[in-house]
Amino acid sequence: MRPLFQEVLHLYTDGKERSRQMVQDELRDVYGNFKAFKDHQMDEALHTAMSNGLIAESHWELDENGKLVMFYQSDQDMIDLINSYIK
Amino acid sequence: MENVQNASALAAAKTARDKAFWKKGLFIAIFSGFLYGGYTSFMTEGMMHGVWNDIYADVPTGVAAGVSAFFIVYTVSAIGAACVDLGSAIWSLFYGGCIGRLGDFKRTLSTKPGKILIIAAIIGGPLASTAYVIGLQMAGSIIVPIAALNAAIGAIIGHFAFKQKTTKGMVVGIIICFAAATLIGSSSMTDLNFSGGAALGCLAAFIAAIGWGVEGAVGGYACCMVDTEIAIIIRQCTSGLVNAIILVSILSIMGGDGIASGWHVLGACLTDMPSYWMLFVAGVFSSWSFKFWYKGAAMCGAALGMGCNGAYAFWGPFWCMIVCGFIFGHDGFVLPAVGWIGALVMVAGILILAISQNKATMQQE
Repeated sequence: MRPLFQEVLHLYTDGKERSRQMVQDELRDVYGNFKAFKDHQMDEALHTAMSNGLIAESHWELDENGKLVMFYQSDQDMIDLINSYIK
Repeated sequence: MENVQNASALAAAKTARDKAFWKKGLFIAIFSGFLYGGYTSFMTEGMMHGVWNDIYADVPTGVAAGVSAFFIVYTVSAIGAACVDLGSAIWSLFYGGCIGRLGDFKRTLSTKPGKILIIAAIIGGPLASTAYVIGLQMAGSIIVPIAALNAAIGAIIGHFAFKQKTTKGMVVGIIICFAAATLIGSSSMTDLNFSGGAALGCLAAFIAAIGWGVEGAVGGYACCMVDTEIAIIIRQCTSGLVNAIILVSILSIMGGDGIASGWHVLGACLTDMPSYWMLFVAGVFSSWSFKFWYKGAAMCGAALGMGCNGAYAFWGPFWCMIVCGFIFGHDGFVLPAVGWIGALVMVAGILILAISQNKATMQQE
């Protein structure tokens, strides 16, 4: 079992696009009871990873409540970078 | 028409989100330097009470009776750092437990980012701090500006190792921050010493600057893969244990006092409540300060994160004036005018650095 934030980044090594909500849906069974699994902490972790070039913003949209939803994706360079740190 | 409204609402929401993240990172990086001042002041004050009076007496008495001059200068510095870092490690573990991070802390230790954080903590903790003390002893406070190069070194590492954007404006901001730290440090340059050992002392200070630069840049980068709440537990536990077990032992042997003397004095300092509560408070400040240092560098990049943190050069003497001077009534802690001027120069440097980095980020997008 990987630490939560490393598991989040590892998800992106398949090259698929995901929002924070989609990441949480995939990890909820194993990590759902973690205190760091909260929305704002996961959002901040993804934004920090994006600032450091591990994932990139692919597109963004407003949900039915007018709230911004960000989608992230990793290109091959980013996938290689993540794989070089996270096994 | 509705599509146009949606597009502008979407753009506004995205801009607001990016701005909020950037502002939060900036605030955290600046606050790390402020908290470092609290750490410095309580450590300084703590080492003037209880058993420390015996250690720093003209002729050491009590637990330190008969130790060498080397021991008083070098080993005691490591003991002081060990006391604070061990307290900080206990606090970080306690706080990490309260916010549910201990499971991930154990899991992170065996990962590559976790090991990177351990190495960064050893380089920036015991190694750089010892190099700094050696520099101070050999060359005097002339080394203060050399050590202040750590922010610039961190920015260079961030630029080349982690491909972080560095513009001319950011370089100007870093140079101004460095000049301000030099200005503030110069107020204590009363013991300039250009004897043979001075060059070695300057070299030691440069090693300290490299150590802190490496720790800020590498530790900050690792925090895009490791939760900062976990990174700080790794950092403080590593630094505390290496200082207490390895560094105190090595320095005790080097001074010819024997390992037993070092551990005996360390034990006495850790159990001396009149002074240790203050060192523990310093450890709590240290935990938050280093956590924010890492987090600021992870959110803003090493250049801006470490530039903002560099204000510790002002916050250290400022907090000492409040805690050691005003609260505990010691003389000699009033911040000289040059310190205030240096602080203003540093604010200008941080502003230039922050604006330049913000511009660079917007151009990238």
